[in-house]
Order: sequence, then C-alpha cells, then structure tokens
Amino acid sequence: MAVLKTVLYLIVYPGILFLFVYATFVEWFDRKVYARLQNRMGPTHTGRFGLLQPIADFVKLMSKEDIVPDKADKTLFTLLPIFGLAIVATAGLLLPVWHTNPLQPGFNSFPGDIIILLYLLSLPTLIFFLAGWSSTNLFSAIGGSRVLTMLFGYEVPLFLAVLSPALLAGSWRLAEIAAFYRQHPLLILPNLIGFAVALVCVQAKLERTPFDIPHAETEIVGGTFTEYSGKKLAFFRLMTDIELVVCSGLLATVFLGGFGGGIFLGFLQFIGKTLAVVFLLSLMRAVTGRIRIDQVVSFAWKYLAPLAVLQLLIVIFIKGWVL
Amino acid sequence: MRLAAFLPELLRHLFKKPATVDYPFQKLEVPKDFRGSPFLRPELCIVCRACERDCPAEAIDITSVNEAEKKFKLAIHNDRCIHCAQCVDSCPTDAMQMDQRFEIAAFDRHDLKMAWDFVRAVVKIKPQA
Amino acid sequence: MKFSIPIGPQHPALKEPISLRMTVEGEVIRDADIRLGYNHRGLEKLAEEKTWIQNIYLTERICGICSHSHATCYVQGVEKLMDIVPPKRGLYLRFLVAELERVHSHLLWLGVAGHEAGFDTFFMYTWRDREIVMDMLEAISGNRVHYAINTLGGVRRDLDEGLRQKILSQLDILRRRTEFYIKIGANEPTFVGRLAGVGKLSKEKAMELCAVGPMARASDIARDVRRDDPYGIYAETPFEVSTADTCDVLGRVVVRVKELFQCYNLIEFMLKNLPSGEVKVKAPRRAKPGEVVSRYEAPRGENMHYIVSGGADKPERLKVRAPTLANYPATVEMLKNGFIADIPLIFAAIDPCICCAERTVETVDLRTGEEKVLRFSELRTLAQERFDKNPRKGTGLWPF
Repeated sequence: MAVLKTVLYLIVYPGILFLFVYATFVEWFDRKVYARLQNRMGPTHTGRFGLLQPIADFVKLMSKEDIVPDKADKTLFTLLPIFGLAIVATAGLLLPVWHTNPLQPGFNSFPGDIIILLYLLSLPTLIFFLAGWSSTNLFSAIGGSRVLTMLFGYEVPLFLAVLSPALLAGSWRLAEIAAFYRQHPLLILPNLIGFAVALVCVQAKLERTPFDIPHAETEIVGGTFTEYSGKKLAFFRLMTDIELVVCSGLLATVFLGGFGGGIFLGFLQFIGKTLAVVFLLSLMRAVTGRIRIDQVVSFAWKYLAPLAVLQLLIVIFIKGWVL
Repeated sequence: MRLAAFLPELLRHLFKKPATVDYPFQKLEVPKDFRGSPFLRPELCIVCRACERDCPAEAIDITSVNEAEKKFKLAIHNDRCIHCAQCVDSCPTDAMQMDQRFEIAAFDRHDLKMAWDFVRAVVKIKPQA
Repeated sequence: MKFSIPIGPQHPALKEPISLRMTVEGEVIRDADIRLGYNHRGLEKLAEEKTWIQNIYLTERICGICSHSHATCYVQGVEKLMDIVPPKRGLYLRFLVAELERVHSHLLWLGVAGHEAGFDTFFMYTWRDREIVMDMLEAISGNRVHYAINTLGGVRRDLDEGLRQKILSQLDILRRRTEFYIKIGANEPTFVGRLAGVGKLSKEKAMELCAVGPMARASDIARDVRRDDPYGIYAETPFEVSTADTCDVLGRVVVRVKELFQCYNLIEFMLKNLPSGEVKVKAPRRAKPGEVVSRYEAPRGENMHYIVSGGADKPERLKVRAPTLANYPATVEMLKNGFIADIPLIFAAIDPCICCAERTVETVDLRTGEEKVLRFSELRTLAQERFDKNPRKGTGLWPF
C-alpha cells in the first residue's frame, strides 16, 4: 500500500505529471506577461487564452525529425536530455508542497535537503556544458564554455543568499525553514537583500535575459542547443521549464514562508507564491538587455557577492544579538 | 544611469490594450488610393498599348482576336504584376484602374490571370498635362 | 589557439546573406574576411534592357528599406540628362517622402540594434511606433514599402489638405516617443554597457577607409551630401548636420537619433511651406546622349548612381554605388580586436543593407584558395562544358 502511494506521488503529484502540467502553465504565464509588458498579445489562439501553446510546442517538437551529427558522441548526446529531465524532476520532489508539517515528515523531507536541492540545481549547468561539448560544433563549444564561465559568477552569491534565511531559521530542512517564517512573518524583512540577490542569481541560472549569453540567438545561433532537434530538444525545453518551477518554488519556500495550511490551501499558496516569483523574473527579463560574458562575471563579483555577504552578516547579527 | 529606467512605463503597458491587430480575425482598413491589383474597364479601352509598353514586369498581354470586328483580348498576369500602377498613369482614357484587393494569394500562379474580351472603343483622349 | 568562425551566409544575426569569416582566439577577434555575392541579382544588366520609366521601378527594388533613395537618385540623374526641371510642389512632395523614409529607416535600425543587444522590449516599442510612419506613407503613396511616388518630371500623386493636417498631428506623437527612446538609450545600464566602447573607429581611420553616412558622422566627420552638394530643395530648408565624437556604436545611436529630430523639423517645414501648383512636367521618351553622376543622402550614407545615355529610350549603363559598399572596409577595421559577443552589434551599427551592395562576383576556389573575377562569357563556357559532361535526365517539369 505504501509502495502504491509512493508510486502515485512520484508519477502524479508532486511527481512528473504535475510538474509537466504546472511547468507548461508557468511558461504560458511567463510568455503572456512578457508579451503584455511589450504591448503585444502573447499566445492567444491555442486553447482558451493560448493556455495550450507550450504543450503544443512540446508536441510539435516531439514529432519532428531527430538529427544526430555525424561526429558527435552518440551515447552522451542521446542520454543528456534524459538525465537533465530526471535531475530537475527529482529536485522538484524535494519542495515541501505536500507534507508541510515538520512533525510528520514525508519521504521527501529530511535534514539537509536544502543542500541536496541546491546541488541538484547545479547539475543542469554541467549537463548543458556536456551537451555543448558532445555536439562537436563550434557554436555549441562556445556556448558550453560560456555556461561554465557564468557558473563561476552566480553560484557563490546564490548559495550565500539562499543559506542566509536557513541560518536565521536555524535548520537545514526546507519544511522547517518554511514553518519558522510562517510563525515569525516579520523576520522575512531582514532577508530582502538576500531575496533580491537570489532573484538575480536564479535568473542567471535559468539563462534568461540579461544572462542568456550561453544561448544568445543573435550571436551563436543556438549556443549549447544548436545541434539538438526533435525529442531531445523537447526534453531540454521541458527541463528548463521545470527548472523555472523548482527555482521559484525554492525561493518561495525559503524567502516567502512556504506553503502551509493543509492540502488545499497549501496547494493554492504554492501556485500563488511561485507565480509571484515568476512575475518578478519576467519583469526582469523585459526590462534589461543581454550583457556580455565578461560583464556578467564582473557584475556578479562586484555587486552580487558583496551583497550576499552583507546579507549573511545581517543574519548573523540578528541571530546573535536579538534571538 | 538609473537601474530599470523605464520600469513605470513598462508596468503601465500591462493594463493597456495590446498594439497587435488580431489578423485574420480583425482586419485594418486600407486607405483610399491604396494600390491593390489592376483591372480594365473595357468600354473605355482604345488599344493604344501604352500600358503593355510601359509595364516594368511585362504583365499585360494584348492580342487581337478578330481583326475585322476589332475584337481584342487583354490579359493581366497578376502573378507578374508588381502593383506599381504605372499602367494607370500611362492609360490616356482612364480605362486601367487599381482596386483595393491585397489578399490575392493562390496555390497556382495561373489562377491569378485575369482576361477581358472586348471591342475597341471610340473614346476621346483626355488632354495630357 | 586560432580558429575561424563563419558568421553567415545563414545566421540569425544577419537579415541578408553575407559571409564573414572571423579568425578568433578565445573570445577576441583577430581578423575578418568579408565575402559578398550571395544576393547578386544582375540589376545593372537588367537596367540596360528596360526603358527609362520602367527603370524607376527596377531601381526602387534594389532595396526595401531605402527604396525611395535609389529611385530618387536615379530620377534626379535622368531628369538632368533629359534637361527637365520638376515643379516646386513636386520636389517638396518627393523630399517629404524621402524624409519620412529616413524616419522609418532610423526607427527600424534602433529596433534592430536593440534586438542584437538582446533588448527585445526596445525592439518592440520602436517598431510599434514605426507603424505610425508606415501608415502615413501608405496614405500618401498607396503602399507601405516601395512607394513608387517618383516619376520622370515630378511625383505621381498629390497631397490633399486633410492628409497634410493628419501628418502634422502625428509628428507630435513621434517627437514625444523619440524623446522617450533617448531617455532609455542613455539610462538603461545593460544597453549602454553593450554599446559604449564597442566598434571603435577613429577619425583618421574613418577618413582613410572612406566611411560614409552615420558611421563617419559618429567619428566626428561632418559630411552630409544634403549640405555639401545640395540637391532638390535642401538649399532652402533649415537643416544641420548631426555628429557625435565618441567613435563607437553608442555614437552611431546618438547620431541617428539626432538625425530623427532633424527629420521631424524638415517634415514640419516642408508641410507648412508646401507651395501650390502642378506636381509634374511631361518627360520625353528619349534622353539626350551624355553621362551624369547623381548623389543622394540615403539613411545609410551617400548613395551614387552613374548613368550613361546613348540617345535611346533605354540607358546604356547604370552603375549603383550603395553606401553600405563604402562601409565594408571600415567594418573589417572595427571588427579587429573586438569580442565575439560584439559581432552582431558592430555589424548592425553600419546599418547593413547588403542587397544594395551586391555588384560584382568573385569566385574563390576552395581547394587552392585562388580568386578570380569571371566574365559572363567564361561562366557560360563553364556551364556548357559541365552540361556536356553530365547530360540532363529529362525528368524535370518546366514550370510555365
């Protein structure tokens, strides 16, 4: 019985089916907000309000011809999208959506799971680099090297910024951190600097403007994804969508107080808070232009890392003196 | 240099109507004198062949069907036409006119040929400027 | 470790096919090699087969964005050969459309610069405002591109009073929007960070490599055909040459935006002082023998047409020197020691209109690297030899 329940969780909710539906909904929301900010319509005609557009894109990509370059490393080339999807889906399981009561932990909540989540979110970057490298295409190689260069920029501020509220809450477990901030809502305010830093770093991790240098369309054709087509490209795109859901879920859990209130209310809070974070990310995408790779690294180390350290100092100060 | 200098304007656009016209469900009106496709008014044509000579794309074909009865056939190949309206300007009797059609896509280029059979008219030529 | 990246002929950064082979070392470009010829259409040869009137429409189709500049340059030259002077109202209308075309071309370029920098919001906003200009041009001439308003001896259509008032009122909207774009352009840090210091071309180098148009004016060379060699009505209209002295892509943006304001002033002047009268004079069928060089300031720089007439009703030779062709050597100079990430911006900053600039074709043998220019008779001989060696199978269908 418990095995059946676990399988149901893994496949339906919060497993792959739920992640698929919600990720396509979040992509629709992102595209619609981005379009409205630019005075355009966005997806309109596929399904009511264009809601089925991302699913239509996925189905179209799955039905296209799958071309593997002659000189590419075939095993690596084929396996990478599947690995990527598996990694982000596993990361999605760790969000405290279902069992939010820290006294009755489910199978997906244990001390230290915030570290596992951050580690699982760093792996897609490596997957993108390997995808670019195994394509043996000049543009993919440049894209892959840019992906890793960006990793040197945003990873440290992201870790510092996400771990500061965890320090304040005194726990390494996502469910406990969320519960702590639900009980002390005022303590969300000292973490605002960290929230801003984490938003910018998450934008860099997801490779969206202003940090979409690795797959900059007007410069290096497709970057790491140049040689991918058909089902593999569909999986990569689904992977970036689910990564968006997981990152915004992480930010909502750690900074905005998680998803409490039982099954139904918790689910609504999950949708509401993640959509708020996605709205802020889309706003950032529309306001800025793309910056160069050397400017990304210098910006990250000149502004983001000191701000993240400042946030850490504030948290240590409050914890030591006040609490 | 301010960060996000035009954020207020950007947010204002969230509440404005989009600037896109939802073609083909909504269509814009074309202005008067829009250059669509050419057509002939056969009762005014005196077969001077000025339009055939001046057309840059060789889209107009005038052939004689019956020499004695002065019957002619004028064919306009709308697939070759570049819609410049030079034929309208060259015509001395205003027989060539432009209409407002622009949705003229077809699957076969030969579907775009238009032809008129007529008898040559006797019309006073309008005085040229 | 040097390796060479091909940008083009097919590339998302380019709107038209051109081949730029860059030799890069890491992210820094060491050398660039430009290869043209992908868009060659044989226009100069075709112009010898068509009459003077038919050639107006042919020269118009050399380019889509600067179509009126090619048509006007040609018509000016032919009117000089035929010794006819268009009436004043005709000239005013002709150059009203010319300045409106300059506005639409600069707004298009601003959008493209934003898109190449990844700043898609700017791209959408400028192109939305460009629609105002396109609607005005459609009301004046009957079509959004390829206006075909020129004819030998003047213009083909007149402007009525209602339309004149409408254009004046739309000018206010355009002025306000352009000031807004200056605000974004100067203040948005990601945009300025991409444009400042990129694609430097010093004043001496620009003079030496014969840069024209906004490229030269951004390097502080005040050269504009409208002031140096006034044609049409520019001798009597109030107009200043816009320059900038930063010598980089940001300077080119500033020059084009300043030119936009000059265009608005010129359009307002022309509309308010439109003389009455006829719009065209009758032109003869044949032109007197002679040769003429006609110069015109297109949105991209100095456009030159050289026309030779033998007394027939067709030209004997038409040579087109488009401004982008003059800017190519300067582009190679600008690309050296730049980053790969800057290639689209540097290339877009010259406002490339590649199909304007396609004239001769040089073949490069890939295996030996040998280059030569082939005559048409040699090409025909090569084609016939190849056909003799591989006879056709006879399975194709003739489309007509």
